[in-house]
Amino acid sequence: MTELTEGAPGAGMLTPARRSPLRELVNYRQLVAMLVIRELKVRYKRSIFGLLWTMLNPLLLMVVYTVVFSTIMRAPRRNFAIFLLSGLLPWLFFSIAILQGLHSILVNQELIRKVRVPQAVFPLSVVGSNLVNFALSFVPLLLLMAVVRQPFTTALFFLPVAMLILTVFISGVTLLFATFTVFFRDVRHLAEVALQMLMYLSPVFYDLEMLGQHDTWWFRAFRVFLQVNPLSYLLGLVRDPVYYGRLPPLSGVALASAGALAVLFIGFSVFNRLAPRHIHYL
Amino acid sequence: MRNGEIRVRDAGVCYRLYREKVSTLKEAVVNRFRHLRSAEIFWAVRHVSLEIEPGEAIALVGHNGSGKSTLLKTIAGVLMPDEGEVFVQGRISPMIELGAGFDPELSGRDNIFLNGALLGFSRKQMEGKFDRIVAFSELGDFIDMPIKNYSSGMYARLGFAIAQDVEPDILIVDEVLAVGDERFQEKCKARIRDFRSAGITFCFVSHNYEAARELCPRAAVLHHGRLAFDGPIGQAWERYRELERGPAPGPQIEAS
Ligand SMILES: Nc1ncnc2c1ncn2[C@@H]1O[C@H](COP(=O)(O)OP(=O)(O)OP(=O)(O)O)[C@@H](O)[C@H]1O
Ligand SMILES: [Mg+2]
Repeated sequence: MTELTEGAPGAGMLTPARRSPLRELVNYRQLVAMLVIRELKVRYKRSIFGLLWTMLNPLLLMVVYTVVFSTIMRAPRRNFAIFLLSGLLPWLFFSIAILQGLHSILVNQELIRKVRVPQAVFPLSVVGSNLVNFALSFVPLLLLMAVVRQPFTTALFFLPVAMLILTVFISGVTLLFATFTVFFRDVRHLAEVALQMLMYLSPVFYDLEMLGQHDTWWFRAFRVFLQVNPLSYLLGLVRDPVYYGRLPPLSGVALASAGALAVLFIGFSVFNRLAPRHIHYL
Repeated sequence: MRNGEIRVRDAGVCYRLYREKVSTLKEAVVNRFRHLRSAEIFWAVRHVSLEIEPGEAIALVGHNGSGKSTLLKTIAGVLMPDEGEVFVQGRISPMIELGAGFDPELSGRDNIFLNGALLGFSRKQMEGKFDRIVAFSELGDFIDMPIKNYSSGMYARLGFAIAQDVEPDILIVDEVLAVGDERFQEKCKARIRDFRSAGITFCFVSHNYEAARELCPRAAVLHHGRLAFDGPIGQAWERYRELERGPAPGPQIEAS
């Protein structure tokens, strides 16, 4: 084992291998912030609108949805565009973070080969940059809500908590996918397919209340799946305050928080267990 | 242990080698699952023991593929030894490769901060160093250009300028000074000598005897991953030449 102990007091660079990976990550929090900024900078380089794209993107989606569901199709709900977006925006945060994050170890392999750095910073910075995007997409969403007269309620103050819980959950999942991808490159294709399916099997375009009742076994199975699907609770954290103007049920919040923390704990532990072996598979 | 001390005890580092060659369909299928079966194990470094005292300067010599970089990476903590132990005390400035961690899309300025963060420095700490780094690199206005537009010498200048300013206890230089122009190389060597007189441990890889002798009184010779000699650099180089006259060097894969 390599044992590295800290040098001069306050040097803060080399931490002993036996010190907890969490502590080490905390020491490198500035690096995570910098990687997030780098990601945003590189992504929007040479684009005139830059970060505005983050807001334009959902705005354009919203316009399309609004037009489609107010004129072309009969919307099953009032302000259906808001309903859709309140599910779609957190879903996109989830799926894009995973799909980008699972490459993050491979993409940064040059660095991992040469610099001693806690590798978790790479997937986590992908989550961070997507969190920035997600947070910014609320600007056009709130604008649209004003335009279509969707009532603003105090429940909206719950959104930061929702974002926090989502971020914790997504971080855990992204860490898992990032480390698995190093060992099996197939994970990426698997994730693409699985996410496609999961999108329809999660309350993104619909929610439990809209489903009604059918008396077939597969429909009952589907309902059970929705009840155990963590995304049902996680997406509700955004949809409830935005669309229904109410706080999510306390039990749901508790379940989502506990689940998210458990997933992060598992993801972080597995990641750190496997990280020393990454270098052999890059 | 004191700051700047390095103790390598019977260390071994192995790589798993997967042959890319595929000749049959069966192999092609099996190769899909190659991570699952045991691969060929190649010991790049094995049974190496070294004690390096604070302030000591040691050169690592050996043929291409003898395991010098692998040993340095283990000391720097990039690789974990698969056998034995490596103890390192103090802050390491790893120049395993100059400019490791540079992002070509970002400007020199942004890369200084990014690199600093990679070495564990906060933005504030790096702001204090920024002007000195730019002055040392002599890059002037180029500092705000994306570094993909730099020449390889400019790249190395920026890399060394950062690495020399991070107050290391241990300085690792893996054959990186060669790309700078003569004046810059002299500047780097002078800086390295400063470090040494300040009691900083120095590990140096070089295939150039003059450069190594100038900086290091002691040398360790690696031959196919084994430590073949450890002692005064004059004798070490003789031993190295002697070994190279033997059977053709270069990587040999041995079963373990
Ligand atoms: N990532 C890797 N995967 C598999 N084998 C590797 C890897 N890195 C190095 N090796 C092998 O380990 C051996 C030692 O490599 P190393 O880079 O340590 O040599 P070196 O002494 O630094 O050589 P040079 O003088 O060319 O820099 C080589 O045979 C090389 O093929
Ligand atoms: Mg080398």
